[in-house]
This record gives sequence, C-alpha cells and structure tokens, in this order.
Amino acid sequence: MNLTRDRLQSIGWAFILTVCFGLTVALTFRVNAVKSEVQLAERQVIALKKEKLFLETEFEARANQQQLTALNDVEFGYEAPTAEQYIEGERQLALLGKPRAPDAPAPIRVANAGPGAGQGSFPVMVSPLTGKSLAKEVESAQATAKGEKLAAVNPDELGALLAHIERGEVGHE
Amino acid sequence: MTAISVSTTITSGRRQLVNARQRSLLIAKRRVLLLLLLFALIALCALMRIALLGFLEPAAAQARSAAEALLPERGDIVDRNGVPLARAFNAYALWYNPDALGGGSPLVNTPEQVAAALVRIFPDMDKKDLTERLAAGKPTYLRRRILPEDANRIHALGEPALEFPRENERFYPQGSMAAHVLGFVSADGKGRVGMEEVFDKQLTDPLTRGKPAVISIDSRVQGALEDELGRGMYESQAKGAAGIVLDVDTGEVLALASLPAFNPNRLEKSDARNIFNRVTNQVYELGSTFKPITVAAALDAGTVKDLGHRYQASRPLAIGGFLIRDSHALGATLNVPETLIHSSNIVTAQIADELGGEKLKATMQSLGFNERPYIELPARGFPIWRKGKWARITTMTVSYGHGIAVTPLHLATAYATLVNGGVWRPATLMKVEPGHAPAGRRVFKAATSARMRQLLRMIVVHGTGRKADAPGFRIGGKTGSAEKPGEGGGYRQSVLVSTFAAAFPMDRPRYVVIAMLDEPKGTAATSYQRTAAWNAAPVVGRVVPRIGPLLGVMPDETRDVDITDLKPLIPGEASGGGGGE
Repeated sequence: MNLTRDRLQSIGWAFILTVCFGLTVALTFRVNAVKSEVQLAERQVIALKKEKLFLETEFEARANQQQLTALNDVEFGYEAPTAEQYIEGERQLALLGKPRAPDAPAPIRVANAGPGAGQGSFPVMVSPLTGKSLAKEVESAQATAKGEKLAAVNPDELGALLAHIERGEVGHE
Repeated sequence: MTAISVSTTITSGRRQLVNARQRSLLIAKRRVLLLLLLFALIALCALMRIALLGFLEPAAAQARSAAEALLPERGDIVDRNGVPLARAFNAYALWYNPDALGGGSPLVNTPEQVAAALVRIFPDMDKKDLTERLAAGKPTYLRRRILPEDANRIHALGEPALEFPRENERFYPQGSMAAHVLGFVSADGKGRVGMEEVFDKQLTDPLTRGKPAVISIDSRVQGALEDELGRGMYESQAKGAAGIVLDVDTGEVLALASLPAFNPNRLEKSDARNIFNRVTNQVYELGSTFKPITVAAALDAGTVKDLGHRYQASRPLAIGGFLIRDSHALGATLNVPETLIHSSNIVTAQIADELGGEKLKATMQSLGFNERPYIELPARGFPIWRKGKWARITTMTVSYGHGIAVTPLHLATAYATLVNGGVWRPATLMKVEPGHAPAGRRVFKAATSARMRQLLRMIVVHGTGRKADAPGFRIGGKTGSAEKPGEGGGYRQSVLVSTFAAAFPMDRPRYVVIAMLDEPKGTAATSYQRTAAWNAAPVVGRVVPRIGPLLGVMPDETRDVDITDLKPLIPGEASGGGGGE
C-alpha cells in the first residue's frame, strides 16, 4: 500500500472529521448532562421553596396573634409600655448621660461582690497548727526529710510533718 | 505493422493513463467537495445546536417551569406590612381508592380492623360508619383535611388503598383574625364575603395571581383591636361588638373587627349569623356620638357664634307630642362645651333647632349618611335615612343620634372629617401609597375642625370619656349610648348600643378609633353600668396605648392640644377633675 500525498491528506481530513465529530458528540453529552443537573437542581429548589412556604405557613399558624396573646396572658403578662417609659426626644436622652451635679441626690448603687484589693483569686489553705501557708510548710518539710531522714526531729517542724503525713494518707484513701 | 501496432498501443496506453489521472483527479475533487460539504453541514449543525442550547432553550424552559411550579392556585392576600393573611396551601386529604391494589379485595386487612386503626388516629370518627364506607368499595373522601403527622401514621398502617393526596386549600394563618375583611373561599373556589370576593378575578388570573394582593389592614393593630374589643364584650356580656381604626388623612382602614367572628379555616353552620359584618352592614342609631357633628355643623354655619352662650337645660323640650329629655338633671343652663361634656340632649336639640333641618341634613349628606358606606367590601348596609324636608322634631332627634341609623363605618369617616381639617374621604381597604390619598370633599372649615379637636379632647379630659384617657396619647372622643328601637315602635330603655368614637393624638390627629358594644349589660367589671363611658370608652383607652407606638404615635405627656381658651367656660370641671392641665 503506497501512501500518496493525496491519500494521506484525505486520511488526515477523515481523522480530523472524526475527531471533530467525536468532540461534538462529547460536548453534546456534557451539555445534556449539565442541563439535566440544572433541571434537577431547579426541581430541588422548587421543592425546597414549597417546603419553606409550608413551614412558614405552619409557623405563622402556630404563632398567630391569638395564640401569642393567650400565651402572654398565661405566661408573661407583658403590657404596652406607658408614657413614662418613653423618651420623647434627643434632649431627654442626652440628659441621661450628663455628669452628676454637686447637689444631686446620690445615684442608686447596686450591690456587687467584686475581688478586694489584697485578695488573691483563691483563699490559701492555712495549717491549723502553725498558722502559715500549708504549701510552704510542705516544701520545707520535704527539704528536711531529704537532708536528715528524721534523725533529729525539730519540734517546730513536727506539725508540718504531721500535716504532710496526714495529707498523704488522705491521698491514699 | 508491428511498429504501428506498437505505437498505437503506446498511444492508447498513454491516453488511458491520462484518462485515469483525470478520472482520479475528478474523484479526488469530488471527495474534497463532499468532505467540505460534510464539514460545513456538521459545523452548521453544531452551531445551530449551540445557538439553540445557549440562547433559547434553557432560559425559557427554566423560567417557565419555575414560575409555573411556584404559581399558587389562588393568589395570597397580605396586610400592609406583607404579613400573609390568606394563602394557597397544599394540605393532605384522606382519600379511599379501592382500585389501588388492582382488583380483588381493596384492603389488606378487614374493613373493621382498618376502621379501628383509623379511629385510633382520629378519635372523632365513627367506627361503624367508617367500616360501612370501607366495605362498600367506592372511592370516597374519608376525611377532607389531615395533618402531616396523621398522614405518616396512616402510611404506617400499610394500606395502599388509603391515599393522602395533597390538595390545594385556602388557609388563613391568623385564624379568625380579620375574618370579615378577608371572607372565605367557598367549595366551588369562588371568594365570598370579604376581600376574597372583591379580589376574586385578580387572585385567580394566572397573570396576576403570582403577586399577592395587599390590603390596608395592619395585622398587629387588627389583633390589638379584636383582643380588646373581645375583652370589653366579655366584661359587659354584650351580644356583639364592632370596632374600626381609620387613618384620618387617607381613609385607609387599619383594622376592622366585628365580633363574634368566625374562623374562615373551619366554617360551621352556626357561623352563618357571625358572617354578618356589624361595621359595614349593620345600621345603628348611634346616639350621642352625633352631637359633635351637630355642633360642628352649627359652628360652620355660624349659628353658634359664642361657645359661652348658655342654653336652658332644666326643662324637657316638648315638640309635637314628643318629649326630649336628658338622662339626669345637668343644671339650669349649659354652654356648648358643657353640653358636649355632659352630653345633653336638650341643648343639642336647641342648637340643631337654631341651625335648621336643611343645613343639618346637608351636612349629614355630605358626610355620606344618605348612602351606603364607601368601602370595597360587598356587604354594605343602607342607612335608615329621612328623605324630603325634615320636620322640626326630626332635626332635633337626629341632632343627638336618633331617627337616622348608620353603620359604625359611616361614623368613623365622619369623625375623620371632623378632626382632619374638615375633608371627607372615602374609607378604603386598599393600601394608599404616600401622597396618593384621594382629594375628598370639604365638609367643615379648617377652623371648625380645629375647634372640634379642642372640644373632643375636653370631653375625654373632663367629661364622659374619662376612662378612655390613656396618658400621653391625647385622645379625644365622644360617648354614645343609644337605646335600641323595640319591635312594636318606641325605644327599649334597658337595651343599649354603646359607642365610643375617638381620635388621637388630638394635637395632630392621625387615627380614628371606634368601639361599639351591642346590648351590653351592667356587670361587676363595668361597675353595673351599661353606658358607653363604662364599657366602650375603656376599650379605646386600652387599644390606643397598644396601637399608638406601632403606628408611630409615641405617648408624650408634655404635649396636648391647647384648650386653655375654652377652660374658663367649664369652671367647675377645670378645677375639679382636670389634673395635670
């Protein structure tokens, strides 16, 4: 089989034609696929919108004026605000933010138990025997135990030691 | 010979070659041409397809399908703020389809078992009747409306013959609220009674039903009015009640209530009486609420030049064998503000007598009292109106609200005219865009209207309307307690129609509020009184603080209409009961 130039050319054309045709078919498929996706999405949108309408209507029916009034009558007893509860203009609103005049009555203060000046965040536990902070005593007792191994028990530190032992027992329990 | 023959073979062979070449060239050209044509065709097809896909199909198909799918069977009705008051709604029905299983027994279980299961879900259904209907094997509705959770429970029964199709239904989320304004949709799909009937064409036309119909009602105001009217009706054991809130400048009806109401979602036979609209259809002799209209007509005509002029009030007026009297003695003489404050029939009749029947009739006519009320609703009552020249006695009785009967809506538009500067405008249930209010017609002079605001405010501050005086809202109004006519002529003294017609705020009136109670009784809650001062006025006094701030009227105790020039005319009242003034 001798491939002349003409024949090659026509094969080339046929090839291009086939490729183009294939591409067109693929494109059409793709377009159709996207189209059906869009339709599906649209159908979902419509279904959701209908569902939303349904829920909205249900909500409105359950929360209608008469139901709310009945609920308010039984549960809350809210009433329309009276004239004194309204501020009628910017002038009156601005009055609320003015610094206190020297002869003005003292403003009502609300009780508040905030942290005091010298207090920490949490009260420290104190030993009932020494009256010192327990944590410090334990530290010193440990240091003593390491150095002298109870060779000589300093009566001053006995309390701390006892406290330490007690603490350990409690821990074991 | 051979040479010749050779030469001929050569020449013939060459010729053949030339021919073959030409032929193949021709074929090649044809093929190329064919190929080109094919290409062109494919290209054309592809282009056309792309054009079709890109431009025409999707947009049109999508737009149409989405719009069609979401287009309601019947358009919605919404209030002025867009709150849905009537809506197309797909509800479940319970339908018995015996052919669902395709022949044989229509039910999986026996009809008795299925009926028992259904009665467990719907305890109000009759088991015997249900069994018969299931056994009969005819397609029928077992129940018109069921809840979604009930549909699930029926599905769990596993009977294919029990279907629950979703059917289009008219649903009113607010229940009985504004029922008379909305009306309902009958079984044949036609709107009835209210705006459903008025908008019927618009709500069913596929071109317009996609957009909701807007009405002027404000659902919050409507709710407050119905709530308080219902309370007033209950406290006074009244037969019925009517109320209306009207914008004085545009004629828009913000709330319209007729009690007892009905539930358009669930109409029953007993509702037939309640469908009647007391505000627009029922006419009443509205009694003393007419007195300000008479006084305004007299001020306008110039027959009352001096508000301090004193009229005799001690002796009943005897006219044509008829005696005009007051409910109790109000003193020897009364001036005009005192007449309104104490609601004297005797003096009002004298003022009307001075004015003359012709002028009073002309005023009443220009207020529309001689024709059906102006509103879109189909149910509009014709007033009881006296035609021809009014006799002296007619003029006098009409002046204090007897002898002619109008609807509460007539009264509301008349009061709007009294306080808005004197311009009468028709009431409407359509939302009026700002600046598009109808021009109306002038009935009173602006000066008369300004005077009436002062007088109406004085009635509430010092007179019979004290119980309506909500602090800060500057309410002005007039009570009216009219005796109802008896069956055999004359009036029944113990059977009243109590009305309070009010407007607020009086320094710049925005809204008219009317509360009317039909046949109230004296109860402990109303201090054993039947008159409007004890039952209708407190209703207005409770409604206004609830609706005022919603409508942009803030209570303000530092403002009021200036009544200082009229104060000296009521010396006793101003010093006695005028606290804070």
